[in-house]
This record gives sequence, structure tokens and C-alpha cells, in this order.
Amino acid sequence: MIEQEIRTPAPDTDDRGQRRTRVLALGVGIFVALILLRLITGESDITSSGTMGATLALAVPIGMAALGGMWSERSGVVNIGLEGMMTFGTWGAAFGSYFSGNPWLGLLGGIIAGAIGGLLHAVATVTFGVDHIVSGVAINILAPGVTRYMSDLFFTHETGGGATQSPPLPSFPTWSVPGVGKPLGSLEKHHWILVSDLAGLVRGVLTNLSPITLLGILVVPASYYLLWHTAFGLRLRSCGENPVAAESLGVGVYRMKYAAVVISGGLAGLGGVFLTMVASSNYQEGQVNGRGYIGLAAMIFGNWRPGMVAGGAGLFGYTDALQLRGGGGAVHAMLLLIGIGLLALAIWRGYKRRPIAAVVSAVVAVGVLLWFFLTDALPREIVTYSPHITTLLVLAFASQRLRMPAADGMRYRKGEGH
Amino acid sequence: MSPTEPAVELHGITKRFPGVVANHDIDIEVAAGTVHAIVGENGAGKSTLMKILYGMQRPDEGTIKVAGKEVAFHSPADAITRGIGMVHQHFMLADNLSVLENVVLGAEKLHGIGGKARRRIEEISRQYGLGVEPDRLVEQLGVGARQRVEILKVLYRGAKILILDEPTAVLVPQEVEELFGNLRELKREGLTVIFISHKLDEVLSVADTITVIRRGTTVDTVQPGAVTARQLAELMVGSELPVPELRESTVTDVPVLTMRDVTVRDADGRTVVDDVSLTIHEGEILGIAGVEGNGQAELVEAIMGMLPVESGVIRLSETDLTGLVTRRRREAGIGFIPEDRHRHGLLLDSPLWENRILGHQTRPPNVKGRLIDRQGARRDTERIVRDYDVRTPGIDVTAASLSGGNQQKLIVGREMSGRPKLLIAAHPTRGVDVGAQSAIWDHLRHARADGLAVLLISADLDELIGMSDTLRVILRGRLVGEADPATITPDQLGSLMTGAGEGSAA
Repeated sequence: MIEQEIRTPAPDTDDRGQRRTRVLALGVGIFVALILLRLITGESDITSSGTMGATLALAVPIGMAALGGMWSERSGVVNIGLEGMMTFGTWGAAFGSYFSGNPWLGLLGGIIAGAIGGLLHAVATVTFGVDHIVSGVAINILAPGVTRYMSDLFFTHETGGGATQSPPLPSFPTWSVPGVGKPLGSLEKHHWILVSDLAGLVRGVLTNLSPITLLGILVVPASYYLLWHTAFGLRLRSCGENPVAAESLGVGVYRMKYAAVVISGGLAGLGGVFLTMVASSNYQEGQVNGRGYIGLAAMIFGNWRPGMVAGGAGLFGYTDALQLRGGGGAVHAMLLLIGIGLLALAIWRGYKRRPIAAVVSAVVAVGVLLWFFLTDALPREIVTYSPHITTLLVLAFASQRLRMPAADGMRYRKGEGH
Repeated sequence: MSPTEPAVELHGITKRFPGVVANHDIDIEVAAGTVHAIVGENGAGKSTLMKILYGMQRPDEGTIKVAGKEVAFHSPADAITRGIGMVHQHFMLADNLSVLENVVLGAEKLHGIGGKARRRIEEISRQYGLGVEPDRLVEQLGVGARQRVEILKVLYRGAKILILDEPTAVLVPQEVEELFGNLRELKREGLTVIFISHKLDEVLSVADTITVIRRGTTVDTVQPGAVTARQLAELMVGSELPVPELRESTVTDVPVLTMRDVTVRDADGRTVVDDVSLTIHEGEILGIAGVEGNGQAELVEAIMGMLPVESGVIRLSETDLTGLVTRRRREAGIGFIPEDRHRHGLLLDSPLWENRILGHQTRPPNVKGRLIDRQGARRDTERIVRDYDVRTPGIDVTAASLSGGNQQKLIVGREMSGRPKLLIAAHPTRGVDVGAQSAIWDHLRHARADGLAVLLISADLDELIGMSDTLRVILRGRLVGEADPATITPDQLGSLMTGAGEGSAA
């Protein structure tokens, strides 16, 4: 009856402190596992500073898309148009920086261009009640067309520019934490257990930093603070959970959704700026290359919470960095980790008395381990696709315990609640 | 007369909607510091009246005074500033937010959203004995606790007058007692409570004054000590209450439904229907008595083909139903009034005429050849609306916009129009008002006289005894006893249902 349906069993009631400890423990655990993996397989790229630095560089655009998606979905608007908004961002960054000669105006241009994409999505979904997926897909289709047209208009007459790319752009100054680069570099070369690995991590993260990277990192705690510790954030989240209740308490639901989706577009645009001006030196067509979608996957993996979302972006960044730098060998080494992880999962499921799941996990684990021990490297094609395969696997395994905002993706019309 | 100014006065309130007058000439005075109940049938205009008082709708005529001062509300915000708060029947809470967040939402300016707000909530909770923990997630709370959060939400905003719209509809009896304890506490602290309900026993136990509304207008205001539940009900309906009873027996010896040794197990392998055999004849109403959860629902689902039967035979006249899917069984001549019309029987977001087709999508007048016949279905829906007195502005409105009683009448009309041989009526009058109840009983009697066999399941023992030709008692999935409805009393039946006197009482 009604009572029983409403009284769902209470999920584990951990408070924030506990959750934080758990996330920290998870992070440390993964790092230790990677060190062990390096020792066993001898693939030094698994924890090298180069890989760590590349991880950061690859994670930032994905993370910005993911955080953008989180902002939007927390207000109840599904934003599958992130890909398109990032595309707008890449072009906006090129336009702003090239014609002003100032990289900071490129940053501004990219964010504004992305935000305009967000505004478009908000107008369609919030004001006109268009299905969120339809509108998002429309933006993804629209963006390459518009940017091609605009490039044709603005870049073809410039030296080095064309319909599919911009001329070389001014770059941001990079910055390293003083006194870190050299000593840690020499430490890393020794390949000492733990010490060298830590040195790799710290050196990779603290040297040759672009201001956009810093900004991207800062957006994570800023999003957390804004969404969870201000009245504005509470109102925004309430729109994603129960807009009718929010309306009944005087929250301007439309206004909140507009704000969230425009911020979402701005963040996606920031990701685009990074791709154009930090990861590359000019705008190129197709530069976004699916990162908006991977960002959405990271957002889902992160359970719509900033810390975990950033972690998800880090994971995708890491697998991408590994395949780029370490190539077949390092990714091949990962098979061992995956195999052992799956084996642990199988034991856990057996312990939880879910025999079918346990057997499936065990069989896959054995398969992966056999694959690891019987081969020396992975085919190049699979290596290139490892980030995408990771996305797929992570979503398949993680999606069972996730909790999306309750009213996410639902059409909301003012005054239609009971 | 109370010495102080009434907390709320409503005079000559009239509200018209296109085609209907929802309220006319409503006069109510609510004394400060009392619990004032407003009772009436579903659709009598209680909810409209409360929406007017809470500023969600504006009256066409009439005046509202709060604490002696005339007011005009344009929105709930106006009502809130005058100290009026509303606890909605359907909770307005976000499950994935904490209690604290739900309470402060929209009122962040009062005490912020942090520690100060938390202290204030704890203070209010203590003051009124609400027992609300600010840091729990709402989804972890039971229904009673959610309701207390709603009350706290209103108090947090400084309300002195609380409107509770059908607050007990979703509560189990124990929670109702707790709620009434809270209401008495609120009263003791000097707050005024306006309590809307159609459950008369509850109203009589908690209210200081009762106003009865019928067909959109106030008919009387009474003191709970001076009336009985039956008198109140008659005031609500405006006539004598209907009595469930059957006149001469129409039972024949032609079997319609025959069940032999039917056993059903649920997904966990527990036996939920255990070796049940029964026969229902033409013109017979067979009532199944039992405490809820003893296999009634599963028995019905087994007959309908919604649950697989482990062993045994189910026959409808000469047809063996055992291997047939639900649609074939319906086509063979089973009508079905489900116990939860929102979960089964209706598509709430679809118009009435589409709901008419539901379950009858292979039979005229809904189809022509292999295609749906819209015109036929619409015409027949209009016939049902007319014949079964479904009160609705038209057949294009969604089923959700009908009151419970009218939804039920639509279902009864639809199931009857398939000319079934067997009707399964699971709680046919649950949650419907007195008028609809009497109409549904009438339809059952007529159909029985025409030779319909009925399997009746009900938690209302008066209905069960009055409307059955034969009574069987179900306990833990087994038919444990038989009773003669002509001689048994509700008390005796009740003790049979709990297994107190196993065996036959007839």
C-alpha cells in the first residue's frame, strides 16, 4: 500500500565526514595499487610525472564538462548539449584571443560562447518545454555548423587560418611551484618505491601549470560551496529534486534553471578554452572530439557530486594519458589491475550471496588475467580506445548505486503541480 | 461566543470555474486557538475553499478576514505574511534533501541555511513536540515524520493559522493518533488549526467545531459533542445514508467461476494462496473476508492471470483459464475493479475515453476491424459518464483530474460495459464518498439480478456482510471458514478473520 511504497529502506546514513574519509581512502588505495602495478610490471609510465601532468591536462576539459553537466542536472535540466557548448567555447576562445592579442580575453570569449550555448538550451527546455535530449542533440548538431561558418567568416583571411582552424593564438604564461621541479625530478629518476612515485605525482601536478588548469581545479570546491552552502545553491538543487515543492515555497524555478544551464554552458566553454589555448596552440575543428560526452559519463560516475565528479574526470584523464604516453605496455599492465579488481569484486559478491553476479565477475576476471599473462602488449587499436572502453565499463559497473536528482530531465510547467 | 476576535472569518465566498460553481455563499468563522474541522464529500468544494484561503485562488465574491482585518490574497506569499500556512495533502518535500534544507528553502532570509536555522528548527521541534531531526534525509522518513516536517515548515515561517488538507489520508491509525497529539499541542500553544477531512470518526475526536460543506456551500456548523458520526454523514450527503444489503436471493446453480486446489507462490517461494477451491454461481456475490495481506490480492491476481498459478485449475464456465494471458481472460468474460485504481485500472495522464479503451482494446465499440475506433470509444465513454453519473467536465480531461469516487465510477462503468460473466471487485468502494458508494452498490445489485457472478473483496465488514450471498474467510492464503451473511455480525466475522475461532461459524 501507499505507506509501504513511501517507506523505502533507508540507505546507509553516512555523514559528510565519513564520506570524505572514504573518498580519501579510495584515492590512496588506488595510488598504492598503481605503485604495486609499476613494481610488478616495470612500466615506469604508470606513475611518472609526465603521465600525471598529462592526466591533469586531459582531465581538466572533461572535468569542466562534467561539472557543467552537474550544475545543469542539479537544477533538473539534462544537458547532453555539453559537447556543442564546448565546441562554441573552443571557437570563442580563438576569436577572443586572436583579435585582441590577449589570452585573457580568449578565456572570456570562450566562457561567453559556451554560456550562449547554455542560454539557447535554457530557452528551449525551460521556456518552451522542449524535450531536454532533443534540444541537447540539436545544439550538438548546430555547434559545428555555426563554428565552421564563423571561422569561414573570420579566420580564412588571416595568415595560418582557415575554415577549419584559427591562426596561432597567444598563449597563457605557465607557472610552477618554485623549488619543486628539479629536486623532485632527480628523485623520480631513482625509481624508489613510493618516494619516486609520490615525486612523480607531485611534480606532475605542480609544475608547468596554466592559469586555466588552476581555474579548473578551483571550480571544483567553488561549485561545492555554491551549491551546498548558499541559499542560491539550495534553491537551485531544490528545482532538480522537486520543482513543484520549490514553487510552493516561492522559489523562482524558471530563473534558477536558467542560471544553472547558463553556468553549465559557461563551464563547458571553459573546457573548450583549455582545449584551444592550453592543450593546443590554435582552434581546430573537431577539437572537442567527444569530451562533452565523456564529461557526462564522469558526472554520472561522480554521482552528481563535485568531488566524485572531479575524481571521475581524473580517471578518464589518467587512462587517456596512459595510452598516449605509455602506449600498449602501460595499458596492458592495467589489465592486471582490472583482473585483480574484478576478482575482488567476485569474492565480494559471493560474500553478499549474489552467486550469478559473482560467477560472471569471476569468469571475466579470469579472462582478463589470462589475457594479461598470455600476451605482451595490446593491439594498438584497443589502446587508442582505452578511455572509451573505460567509460563504458565504469558506467556499467557504477550505475547501480547512483542517485540522480529526482526531477532530472522532467518538463516543468509553472502552476501545473497539484 | 469567544471573547477574542475570530482568527479567520469567511463571508459569502463564491468561486466559479468555467461550467461549475465550486463554492457559493460560504460562511465560516474560526475561533482563535481551536481546531476547526471542515468536512464534506469529495468534490464538495473543500479544497477550492482552502486554496482561496491560502491565496492560491481568488474568490469571485465574498470577504476574508484574518484576526478581524479584511485581506485580499494574491499569492500564497501574502497568506504566509498574514500567518496562514498550509500543509498539503501531497507532501511538498524534496526526498534527496535534508529536513533542514526542505524547511529553510524559500525562507533562507529568516535564519540563513546553517547553524542558526538548525537551532531554530530544533527549538520549534521541541516546543511543539514534533521530534524532527534536521539532518536526516527526507527519503529516510516515514509518512508521519514527513507530515511533521511539513508542519514544521509552516511553523518556521511564523504561521499562527495552519490549514491541514486531508492530513490523515496517508497515515496508518497509529500515526493518526500521533498527529492528533501534535494538533492538541499546537492548540495549547495558542495556534489555530483548520482541519479538512471526510473521515468523520477522526473529526469527531479532534475538532472543537465542525463545519459541513455540501455541493459547494456551508450547510451547518456543529459541536462534536452534539452529533454522531451518522448524523454528520447524513449532513454531508444531504439524505439518509445508503445501507449495503441484498434483497431476495438470485443465486442459481450454474457455476461461473470454478477454482480447484489453486496454489500460488510469490517470487520468494512463499505460498501466498494455499490450496484454494471455490465456486461462484450466476447471480451470486461471494465475499472474501480477511485481514489485508492474507492472500486476497494474490488470489485476485491469479484469477486475472497476473500471477502464475503453481498448481490447480481455474475455469470460467466451460473455459479453462489456466493457460490464458490476462487479455484472453478478460475477453472470456471477466471484469476487474482493481484494489488500487492508480496502480492498476487507470492511466492517470490519459483522457477518459482512452481509459475506456484500456483492457477492452480488442472489442467493440472500441475497435472496427483491427483498428481502434475513436468515435465509437468516445461515444461509449459519454454513455458511461451519463449512466454511471461520473461527474466530469468532459471526456477529454485526464483521469487524474477526477475525484476518487468519480474515477471509481468510471472503472465500474467500463468493466460492466464489457458484459462480463464474472466481476472481480476488490475494495470497490474504498476511498470513495458516500454518494458514489451507494451508486456502486446499486450497480452491483442490478448486475447480480442479471446473472453476474461477483467475487467481492473488501475491508469494510458492513459492506462485505451486506453485499454477499456467500462469505468465505481467508487466512494465510487458505480459505479457513464459511459464514452466513444473514446471521453473522461484524464482530464475529472479525474474530474469524484473525483465526480466533477456526472452523465454520455457519
